[in-house]
Amino acid sequence: MNSTGDKVRIKHAGFEYSGILLESTDDNIYVLKLSNGYNVGLPKGNSKVTVTGKLPITKLPELKLEKNLKLPNVSLVSTGGTITSRVDYRTGAVHPITKPAELLSQIPELKKIANISVTPAMSKFSEEFSPKDWSKLAGFVGRELNKENVRGVIVTHGTDTLHYTAAALSFALEGLGKPVAIVGGQRSSDRGSFDGAMNLICGTHYTTSDIAEVAVVLHGTSSDDYCIANPGTKTKKMHTTMRNTFRPINSMPYAKLFKTGKIEKLRGSNLRHAGEVNVKSQFEDKVALIKYHPGLSPKVLDFYVKEGYRGVIIEGTGLGHVSAETWLKSITDATKKMFVGMTSQANYGKVDPYVYSTGRDLFNHGVVYLGDMLAETAIVKLSWVLGQEKDKDKVREVMTTNLRGELSDKSVPNGFLY
Amino acid sequence: MKNLGLKSGIEIHQQLDTGKLFSRCQSRLDSSTPDFTVSRRLRALAGEMGKVDVAAAHAAEKKLTYIYEVHNNNTSLVELDEEPPELINQDALDIGLLVCKMLNCRIIPYLQVMRKTVVDGSNTSGFQRTCLVGVDGHIETSAGNVAIDTVVLEEDSARRTAETKDTVTYRLDRLGIPLLEIATAPDMKTPEQIKEVAEILGTMLRSTGRVIRGLGTIRQDVNISIKGHARVELKGVQDLQQIPKIAEIEAKRQKAEIDMARKTESHVRNVKEALTSKFLRPMPGAARMYPETDIPTIKVDMNLVKEMKIPEMTPVKIKRYKKLGLNDELAKRMADSRKNDIFDRAMKKQKLNPTLVATTLLSTEIELKRKLKLESGKFPEAFYSRLFKTLDEGRLTNESISKVMERFMKGEDFDKIISEFKPMSDSALLKLIKDNYDKDLPQGALIGKIMAKVAGKADGKKVAKLIGEFKK
Repeated sequence: MNSTGDKVRIKHAGFEYSGILLESTDDNIYVLKLSNGYNVGLPKGNSKVTVTGKLPITKLPELKLEKNLKLPNVSLVSTGGTITSRVDYRTGAVHPITKPAELLSQIPELKKIANISVTPAMSKFSEEFSPKDWSKLAGFVGRELNKENVRGVIVTHGTDTLHYTAAALSFALEGLGKPVAIVGGQRSSDRGSFDGAMNLICGTHYTTSDIAEVAVVLHGTSSDDYCIANPGTKTKKMHTTMRNTFRPINSMPYAKLFKTGKIEKLRGSNLRHAGEVNVKSQFEDKVALIKYHPGLSPKVLDFYVKEGYRGVIIEGTGLGHVSAETWLKSITDATKKMFVGMTSQANYGKVDPYVYSTGRDLFNHGVVYLGDMLAETAIVKLSWVLGQEKDKDKVREVMTTNLRGELSDKSVPNGFLY
Repeated sequence: MKNLGLKSGIEIHQQLDTGKLFSRCQSRLDSSTPDFTVSRRLRALAGEMGKVDVAAAHAAEKKLTYIYEVHNNNTSLVELDEEPPELINQDALDIGLLVCKMLNCRIIPYLQVMRKTVVDGSNTSGFQRTCLVGVDGHIETSAGNVAIDTVVLEEDSARRTAETKDTVTYRLDRLGIPLLEIATAPDMKTPEQIKEVAEILGTMLRSTGRVIRGLGTIRQDVNISIKGHARVELKGVQDLQQIPKIAEIEAKRQKAEIDMARKTESHVRNVKEALTSKFLRPMPGAARMYPETDIPTIKVDMNLVKEMKIPEMTPVKIKRYKKLGLNDELAKRMADSRKNDIFDRAMKKQKLNPTLVATTLLSTEIELKRKLKLESGKFPEAFYSRLFKTLDEGRLTNESISKVMERFMKGEDFDKIISEFKPMSDSALLKLIKDNYDKDLPQGALIGKIMAKVAGKADGKKVAKLIGEFKK
């Protein structure tokens, strides 16, 4: 029998290949690392394997984190994702780093900015997150924030649903008096062009700043020049792969952050202040986001009503519309039983029920128009509000009140396509 | 030289004439002003098995900022390291497999694209994508067989356009162009032999008709060690004629190092203008290589390889063309041209004058493009096969070829053009001669006058013959 890590000779089709056996994702082939570094695949059928030795298992040296008393203390809570993943050379697949300290050893610059303590909260790709994870994470972050000697908290997170978590933490951390940076990466940490390194460096600078807000910190441009701190309730992943994927929507970023520690503020924010953060981490599961499109059947909405959901957010067209002709009856039934909120699939700008008769009809039948709140932020907020509140009128009131910058009282002209 | 115990191998890097290897961009260098630039830094990270590659660490220590120049028309997010690679360019892979077959290599059944760590900034990602396609081949030389160790298909790097103390500027047009790397075993024992092997490999590659030509499209590295010295790689050998001299200088340099009892280490050197060389970086090790996880393993279709035909070598082709009647220059140009397939087919099917066909293919098209100020666009193969068929059937005269091509290039329908260039019948020609005959004109001027009226719709020789008959 042979196994991964064995030194082997494989005879195939009259030729011999020698190297180290690697794990293969395909059951029908052997993957062999030759001495020149190249991997080759050989079909298992018609191949004869002779084990000649075993590769010693190399361990990365344990990282000793020495405290520099002159530097601020920052907590890093890791959750998984590209930023804390690396190639598993045995399987050839990308896996989460189990010891986030490994990450710090790869970015030695961090040790000159702050004493960073690492707490692994979970190890998940961000598409696996659920409201339960938001609760759990809020607990971890809240505990770190309430440690007196901690200046701020960094959360590392996969980018896919990072903005949902950013909104969730924004709402769950009531009375926040310290900076919370949520940081992700779009390139894996195995490569020289790993973007997460600069994001972490800038994120760490953010946590030592006086901006007491939950912010999403990633590249500001495709260059490695600066990061931007996007408001946690006003940002979205706008590109599947680019480094500068997170853009502020209907807002300016809080600040530009440079690797040198320079911070260039671009808008107002809450400032650092004393006092413990009050963690309100209940989230309701029975909420749903419906993206309307021409021809979408209102049965989708009927389904959630029948299933006993407590609220839905509709991502309507333009100013916040769905077909009044086909949807009005279902809307009327739904709003009697649950919260129905309206946002726009245009991303930028706000919804308005007064411009067209469709909007007026929907509004008059109980649909709540949510201003310039992003659909993703709205679903998280609804989940959170329903987690704390049962009274329907109160839910409606809180949903239409700005709590964490999610609802602008005025639309800023520079909030479009920053 | 012989008693120094010289051992040498070469690596040839040849650009392939296809689109880029892992993006669907065209492989075209651009000298115009870039549309925009981005600036990046690269980090040295622990590679496979947790080791930081020495060459990678060496480059990262310099802490340079890299500026990348981008042209939107030949660069995608893949080259910008902003998107995962597309699947491998099948065209380029097929050429690689064909070359493996020509070099008697055994082909790897399942190919695995690797990431080779490169942090000098010439690759935006910090690695070069590379894939071992064939191993253990050989070629015949005047001094016996020379073994081919590996044939590798890989991405070309970005090209360096400027440099300051803290920055290096690269242009992304070259990044990702497919490169075929052929590495020989250290079987060569004299500088002349190295040159011969380089020439043979170059000819083989060009004979595929699928390689990019011109300065910088083929690059040679020479590996040299004398007895008692570690292997040294010399990069940037531009001209094959220089190889013997460069090898000699390096062998002497190594000898001097040994004589001074210095510790000799394997490293890479850059060849300078005076053919001396300068230390570039330590020799990269196997630690710099790990799998490209964004690209699945590629199963080679061995039946397809079996069916691939070994192309006729260019020197053989030139000889054959000369035999057909092309002059030296035309034979060479035709053999080097990607249109030699069309030429061969025309020669097989039609009984046309080889020189006329070759000139039409090689010169007329270029002249017309120049005349019409067209940069791109070419005649489809089908156009040429119809053109030559029409000529062969006597439905078109040689004199009309360039006019037909010009009108086709302007977008007119082939059949419509041909119908307007129908050769004149003998009776119509005779009538024309009769109407325009001037007994006072000398023969040459008379032919000229008649031919102007004919407007290409009759062969000159025929007109002369008919005038002669009319005179009588």
